[in-house]
Parts: sequence; C-alpha cells; structure tokens
Amino acid sequence: MMRPLALEPAPVPRPSTADATLAAADERPAAGLLRGYRPPAGVFDEAVDADGAVRPHYRALIAALAAMDEPERERRFSSAGQYLREAGVYYRIYGGAERGEDARAWPLAQPPLIIAQREWAELAAGLEQRAQLLEKLLGDFYGERRLISDGVLPPALLGRNPEFLRPLADQAASGSPLIRFIAVDLGRGPDGRWWVLGDRTQAPSGSGFALENRVATSRAFPDLIRDLKIQRLAGFFQRFRETLNALDDGRGARVGVLSPGPHNETYFEHAYLARYLGFLLLEGGDLAVHGSSVVVKTVDGAKPIRVLWRRLDADFADPLELHARSRIGTPGLARAVRAGAVEMVNALGSGILETRALLAFQPALARALLGEELRLPTVATWWCGQEAERDYVSKHLERLSIARAFPQTVEEEEHRRPLDLGMRRAPSDRLLDDLANDPASVVGQELVGLSTAPMFVDGRLEPRPVTLRVYLARHANGWSVMPGGFARVASSTDPLAVTMQSGGRSVDVWVTSDRPERPVSLLEATSGFARRLPSAPPARAADNLFWLGRYVERAEAATRLVRLHAARLAEGERRGALEAEVGELLAGIGVDAALGDPAEGLLRRVRAAFETASRIRDRFSPDGWRVLRELVDLIERRLERDETDDLPGLASEVLIRLSGFTGLVRENMYQFTGWRFLQAGRLLERGQLTARLAAALTRDEPPEGALEALLEFADSRITYRRRYSVTLSRETVIDLIVLDPLNPRSIAFQVNGFKTLLDELPGMRRGETPAAVSRRAARLQVRLATADPAELSHLFLARVAADLGDISDLLGEQFFSAAPTARGERPEAE
Amino acid sequence: MIYDVTLNIAYDYPAAVKDARHVLRVRPRELDGQSVRTARVTVAPHPDEAGRELDFFGNALDQLLILPEHEALSVAMRARVEVRRALPDLEATPTIADLAAAAAADRETGPTGPMHFLGDSRIARRIDAVSAYARELIDPAAPAGEAVLAFASRMKADFTFAPGATTVDTPLQEAFAKREGVCQDFAHVMIAALRGVGVPAAYVSGFLRTSPPPGRPRLEGADAMHAWVDVWLGPDMGWQGFDPTNGVTVLDDHVVVAIGRDYSDVAPIDGVVLTAGPQKTSHSVDVVPVGERVRKA
Repeated sequence: MMRPLALEPAPVPRPSTADATLAAADERPAAGLLRGYRPPAGVFDEAVDADGAVRPHYRALIAALAAMDEPERERRFSSAGQYLREAGVYYRIYGGAERGEDARAWPLAQPPLIIAQREWAELAAGLEQRAQLLEKLLGDFYGERRLISDGVLPPALLGRNPEFLRPLADQAASGSPLIRFIAVDLGRGPDGRWWVLGDRTQAPSGSGFALENRVATSRAFPDLIRDLKIQRLAGFFQRFRETLNALDDGRGARVGVLSPGPHNETYFEHAYLARYLGFLLLEGGDLAVHGSSVVVKTVDGAKPIRVLWRRLDADFADPLELHARSRIGTPGLARAVRAGAVEMVNALGSGILETRALLAFQPALARALLGEELRLPTVATWWCGQEAERDYVSKHLERLSIARAFPQTVEEEEHRRPLDLGMRRAPSDRLLDDLANDPASVVGQELVGLSTAPMFVDGRLEPRPVTLRVYLARHANGWSVMPGGFARVASSTDPLAVTMQSGGRSVDVWVTSDRPERPVSLLEATSGFARRLPSAPPARAADNLFWLGRYVERAEAATRLVRLHAARLAEGERRGALEAEVGELLAGIGVDAALGDPAEGLLRRVRAAFETASRIRDRFSPDGWRVLRELVDLIERRLERDETDDLPGLASEVLIRLSGFTGLVRENMYQFTGWRFLQAGRLLERGQLTARLAAALTRDEPPEGALEALLEFADSRITYRRRYSVTLSRETVIDLIVLDPLNPRSIAFQVNGFKTLLDELPGMRRGETPAAVSRRAARLQVRLATADPAELSHLFLARVAADLGDISDLLGEQFFSAAPTARGERPEAE
Repeated sequence: MIYDVTLNIAYDYPAAVKDARHVLRVRPRELDGQSVRTARVTVAPHPDEAGRELDFFGNALDQLLILPEHEALSVAMRARVEVRRALPDLEATPTIADLAAAAAADRETGPTGPMHFLGDSRIARRIDAVSAYARELIDPAAPAGEAVLAFASRMKADFTFAPGATTVDTPLQEAFAKREGVCQDFAHVMIAALRGVGVPAAYVSGFLRTSPPPGRPRLEGADAMHAWVDVWLGPDMGWQGFDPTNGVTVLDDHVVVAIGRDYSDVAPIDGVVLTAGPQKTSHSVDVVPVGERVRKA
C-alpha cells in the first residue's frame, strides 16, 4: 500500500443503492437536514462547496441520512453508542471539578468525516514523505548531528531541548529506524489544502480510539460503509503487527506494549491495542534488566523480551539515567537500549521531533535531508530565538498562536493532553512573559482557520471545525499510512478550540475507494496455525488477577453478611450477641455497619474489585469488566437517591450481578495460568472468611440463631435439609460448612480446589521439591480431611483462617515478588 | 598537587531490599590539568553485575546490580589524583555580551559544546528573580572572566553557607529567596544566573582538599562531596571553574568527578530500591595532599 492509488485513473462512477437515492437528494440539497447549514464565511467546508452544493463524495451519506427519519437515525447512532459503552471505551480526564481525575465515556459524534480517495492518495504521499523526513531528522539528532554543525538548524534546538536524551545521544549508530509508528496532526485551511499542525512521535495516541470509532460507526452505518467501499483499517494494523513481530529475532517471547499504567489518560487504548494485536501489556515494573537482556518478570520466572511498543514517555522510562523521580520506569533500560538488547518503538528520545520550533525550518530541512521540496505544507511558524522572528511575533500577536517552542517536560500541565489537536488562540501570561524574557522558548504560529465538517447537534447537521490525526507505520521497505484517522470536532464553532478536555468530540474518518476491499481480519492466520498455550502472565498481572478474585469474593461475602444483618433487624430481632458478631466481621472486611450506611461499605468493596479489574483490562473480557462497573453504578445510584433502607433488596441485586461476573469468568475466560490465579484468590478468600465466621459463631456458647446464620451465609440451607434431616446441631452444621468436601461452600472444598489449581501453576510440578506454599496447603488439606466434627473447636477454625492467610502470603512470595533471585526455600512461619 | 582521595557512602535501609540497581558517579575524571593515577571503587554487598561506562559528558559511570536481600549498602572510592591547573588570565576574556553571542552561535555538538549548558535543565531553570539578580551584578561590557569571578565572590558574600538549611529536593527559588544553602544550592543559583544572561554554565561535582595549607582558612564544604560551576569563557579559553561557595576560581584545591547540566546529571549515586520509611545515609570525604606541596611555576 505504498502509493499506487495516486496513479490510478479517475474512478468510474458505478451505480449503487446509495447513488440511486442521491439524485433525489441532490435536487433539493438544503431540504431537511442541511437547512440552515451555513459554514462560517471564508472557511472550507468538508461537505458543502462554496455555492452550497453537496460535494460529490458526501452525497451518498447526506442522501442516506436524509432518507432516514429521525427515530431511525437515533436508533443507528445509539447502536454505535451502545457498542462503545459495552466495550468500555473511555479516556481519563484531568482536573475535573470535584474528583480531580475521572474516566469519561467516549464521546463519538456522527456522521463520519469523509475524504475522497483521490484527495487521500495525494495526502498520503505527502505524509509518507513527511515520515521519511522525520526519520532522517531523528537519525541525525542521535547520530552525526550535521544539521547543527552545518548550520541548518540553530544550536539551541538541540542544546536546550528537553527531549534530546543525552544517555542515548549516539543511538542512531545502529542504522535501524528510530521511529516506526507516528502520527501527524492536520488541519485544512480556507484554500482547501491540508496543513501539518504538528508531529506526534513520542507515543502517539488515538489509533486505538480510531479503531473503536470505526467498529462503532459500522454498527450505525453498515450499508453505507459497504456502498461507499470505505477502506478498512485492519490491514494497516496487521502489517504493523507483522513488522514488530519480525523485529524480534526469536529470542523474545512476544512484543510488549509498554504503558505508564491505569492512571494514564489513554490507558484504555493501551489495553485495547495490546489485546487487538496480541501483544503483552506491560508496565515499567514488569520489566527488569538482567545482564545484557530485558526480561519480563512473570509468574514463571524471567522471560526475555526484545521489542517494546512504547506508550510511556521516555523521561519516565529509566529512573537511573533519565528522570530519577520516576516510579513507573525500569532501572537500567537506557543502558539496555545502548547495548542493543531491546528495540524501542519509538526510540527513547523520539519526542524531540515534536519540537514546534522545528516547524520554522521545514524547507531547509527538506532540502538538507531529502533533497526535495515538501509536498505537504506545515503551519507557518516563527521561532523567537531569532531576533527578526521575535520582532515579527511580538508585533502580530493578535494574528498568531503563541506556543511552547520545545516539548513540555513531565512537570508541565500541557504535557498531560495527549489527545489535544489544534491550537489555542489566547496565550497565557506565562507565555507572553517568556516571549519577553526567554524568547527562544516560544514560537508564534499562524492561526489556521480550520475547515468545518457536518455534525449532528440536536437532530440537525451543523458545521463544526475539525482536525485530523493520521497514523503512519514503518515497514521493512518504507512507510504506509492508515487509511482513516482520528478526527476531532469542536463543541463550538470557534475554529481554534478543538480539544478533547473541553468537550470536543471525535468522529470516524472514512476514506472512500472505487473498489471493494477484501475484508482483512487480524484473526486470519497467514500460514496454517499451531495451537499454543498463552505465555506466563507478568507477575503484576497475576497478582492483580489473584486480588481481583479475592476482592470479588470479599464483596460477595460482605453482601451476604449485610443481607443477613439487615434481614434479622427487619424481622424485629433485638440487637443481640449474633448481630454484634456479624457486625464485627463486617467491620473486619471494611463494612462498618455501626459507623455508617452499610451500602457505602459495599461500594468500597465493589470499587476495590472494579479498580483491580481496571488494571488488567487486557486480561479478561470487556463483559466481565462491564458487570463490575454496573455494580459500582448500581450502588452509587442507590446512595445518590438515598434509597438504602431497602438493604436486602440491594444486596440481592448485587449478588445476582456478582454471580453474573462469576459465570462470565467460568464460562468465557481461557482456563490457563491467569484464570488459575483469579480462582485461587476466590477460593482462599472464601475459605478464610467462612473459617472466620464459623469460628466466631461456634464458640462454646454460640449466640442465638448462630447456626442458622452460618448456613445462610454459606448458602447451604437447602443442602443441609437434604443431607441431614434433623434439627440443627453444631456438629452437623460444622460438618457441612467446614469439612464436607462435596459442599462447594465448605472450607475443605476451597482448600482442595486451591491445591488442585496450585499444582497446575508454573514450577509446581510433581516430583520436584514442593514449595512452601504447596506444603502448607497439603498439610491443611490433611488436617481438614481427618478432623472429627465433634472435637472441632473454634480455635481449630481460627487456626484454619490464619493458615489460609499464610498460604496467601506464601503464594504471593512464590509468584508475585518475581525477583530474579533463585527461588530458594523460605522459612515456614509456623 | 597530588591527593589521596577517599569517599565513603553508606545507606541503612529500614527493611531489607533486593534486586537493587545503582549508578555511581564517584570516580575522578581525566581532564586537562587533572590526571587520575589510580581509582578504585568497592561496594558491599558484592554486586552481581558491575559495568563501567562513560556518559555523554565523559563522566565515569559504575552500573551495579545487587540481587540478594541486603539491609545496608556501602560504597568506597579511593583515588590518587594529580592536579596542576594553569592560572587563567581572566582579564583576557571577551565581554559578557560578546561571549553570549558567541555561545548562542557555537556549533560544537560534543560534550564540551556550550549549547548544552545554556537552557533550562531539570533543576537549574530560568527564574526571573535570579536573572534579575544576575543582570544587576553583571555588566555586559565587562570581561567575562572577571565578571564571573566577581559574581562568585558576591554570592559568597550574599549567601550563607548553612548545612541542613536545604535538602537535595529544595527548589532553587527557595534557596535563592532564603539566601542560604549548601554548595549544591550555590552552584545551582550561579548556573541559573549565568544562563539567564546567556553565559554557558555547567555543574561540577567533586572534592575539595580537606586540610588547608598552614595559614590559610579552612574551606567550606570540605568534609562532603563538593559542587561548583564550570563557565565557558569563549572558544579560546574554553571552560574554567568557579566556586561560588568560596568565591574563588578553581585551581589546585578542587578535584573534578563529574560535569553535567545540574545535579541530576551527576548525582554521585542513583538507585532504585523498594523500601518503606526513611533510610539513613551517611557520607564522608577525605582529600589529603601526598608529600610536600610543590609550587607551580
């Protein structure tokens, strides 16, 4: 897909269903939908030409939309919205009014931005040339630095650039490209030409959102996508995946996506792309540098990795040689890069290409690096480190956007807006101050009057300013452009205010084609297949899965206890010894009924599970995550409406949803190592909580109703009646709840199940010296199997609870600490 | 002058740590006017991996990995270094204005190029109050060498050397506003001030002779690692050291370890250990002249 499209003859129009309705709509273009659609004067509109006629490549869409009545449009739009909600697409927003940081649902607007094939081909050719320029420019910065020594660029552009990373100053010596995946932000000026507004090379965001926009939009307009032969995005990603896989020389297990973690604005995208491309989602803490290689700390020991697609800002990547305060990096990573142990996509330090001051030297750079003129113009930029330019900027402030000349460092606010495109009109006081006192830190840029595109606002199409981010990937023999992109529309008509943080929205981008494309799916195997077991999960992911299991179980236990507690109070029972015991247990797991609304405690428990799940979204289905989010919503709504007096009702709803989660995990999750950790967490938590409750309720003189409560908690009333047709006795209840290996709620069942899972975990093979966790679990199994219910005291049960706590700790030490030291014997804490 | 230099750094952790990675920048550098006869670094516990490299600025890095659990870390560096620096002719330097113009236009991209030492670095950032202080004290028409030495002496007079008044994390503004701090703060203030008037300035970490020659006062900051400033005085003279803590030019009392844009480039030890609570650190330095002082011609 290099650039053959530019050479093809003009497409011959072929009739299609969409074209058939077109003629009718064309005769009265202003009718209905476009009534009152008036782009601002002097601005290019994507859909309508200067005479108000619909442009040819928009006709099918406008006609199709006009042919729908409003309910149908609504239905289509909401099916797109529903997809996004179900897939859990979100991004984080900073500085929200009260909460500071919040996850927002993805704001997709309709209809898509359409770009005609011929125009796109020309644009793509310009973008490919631009990518070559950037690749060579970066190669020079981290190589010979001739552009500086020959005087093409002023020395300050390198010397005071915070993204010139000196520990990697000579990394271009290997000759391999330092950038492989970049984005270019574009805007279309009044003359109809596309202009480059900026380059994104550090860790370009949005390509995953572009994919999700496409999936969502295809739910709304499957017919139009087919009729207009909209170019697909999957092929681009497939090729990119193959390229990264090919960079691995066979020593690494998989390609990793290196993410800053769940608190990043675009973490959803990192998890989504990792899942979509089959890459491993990693954080800095998952990696270690051993000798001359980079390894992933997995539950099965250290596994080498050779290729990292970096979404983490370079400065954070290595606290030893880059930002010493970074807590999300990998010590020694810069050295590993120097040693050629790992391929960074893009290279650490590639953010230097985002320097706005470079835009002031484009023609000279193109001549020096490519020996040709740029096909795609860049926004006119004046770097104020030069006297004449500074004077010009100072005199024309009203016509220019004043911006930072250099990439922002991690401490600065602007840094945290990866999805902002476009420019700002009013410069801050700080910028004006710097223009006077440190002019080299500032650029002036021409304000581009962005083109407008139609967007539905209150059921009508309105022109809204739009910017476009386009993605390019480097393959073995050159660059290719993703046929589509990430477009942003402003919430106001101000052609400069396009930002996601202040209410902007995003639309899908359609590039038309004159021939249907064969569907490419990333699931297609190119040459046969071999069924392979998933590689061992990183220790952090396993740790989170284990705790997810524990938290979900804990939420369930808390809910059962709250229901028990509430039901007894409702039945008019006096607050007696039993209530006190249950209340104490609840307080022990974070639901203090005496202190406040128990629903708030439940919310905390459910949130803990949800937040843990959010950290490992790449590891289980979006449905499971969604169930947990709905749970959080459910309890929050109850609390907001102050309807928590119906606690038993709320508890039942929570229990049903939790069992929904359990069912999804059991039925849908691939039952390998990751799943085993999740299950292990559930079993240990359930065993431990049951043991604690049983110990509390089976003291020598148990409070009134204790045995019923225990059966109720363990959901074993019916089983009890079936198995023991006698009245309740301490002995029989203990037998069923503690020792019966066939009761799925008994402690023995949990311990046996845990031991079975444990034996399947990495490094636990039979015949080898058993690890401490394994020995402890086996011993507990025996103790439960041989115990006599008649002699079983609450002290025994308290000991079982403590044992299960120890086993959990030992499991953590065995698998989650993941230090590369030999896993020697650990002293048993008995 | 030949010195025997000893540096000891010790960390006591509140709980055992393992899998610790460190970078050390403690070995004296080979430079014009300074030659390193021997230098030896010992680390306890014994590192599982140890590698030596030079960084971009030519400083010696020791890269360490210590895998097993340990509750303390100690680093000892012993070196014998000969220092013979020529007395600079500070009068024969371009004016501050000419120097700033030459610095802005200089195209040397290597580690000695002034371009690396003109803009903001992580700690030494342009601050209006500091730039104003520099503009007030530095006459653009004065010979740069003299103006810089005068500035360093003025800093010694204006600022109080006060161990404990600041920490490694104290922002530059704060030390400047209080007019007190340790050698690190002095150096950062001077760097920010000089860069604010277009003069390239680098941060130097190193050692200062601990025992003064008879009849001379004891120098401040001598019992710990010291810091001062290298200033670019034009393409002919190149870099020259100035010590704002003591208000002097750098001659034979100073032993250079590492040069960078500010402290964050040359911290003697960086590392990542996972541990909770405060760690105790200590560090001590001895710089003892070997034999008799030989007066340079």
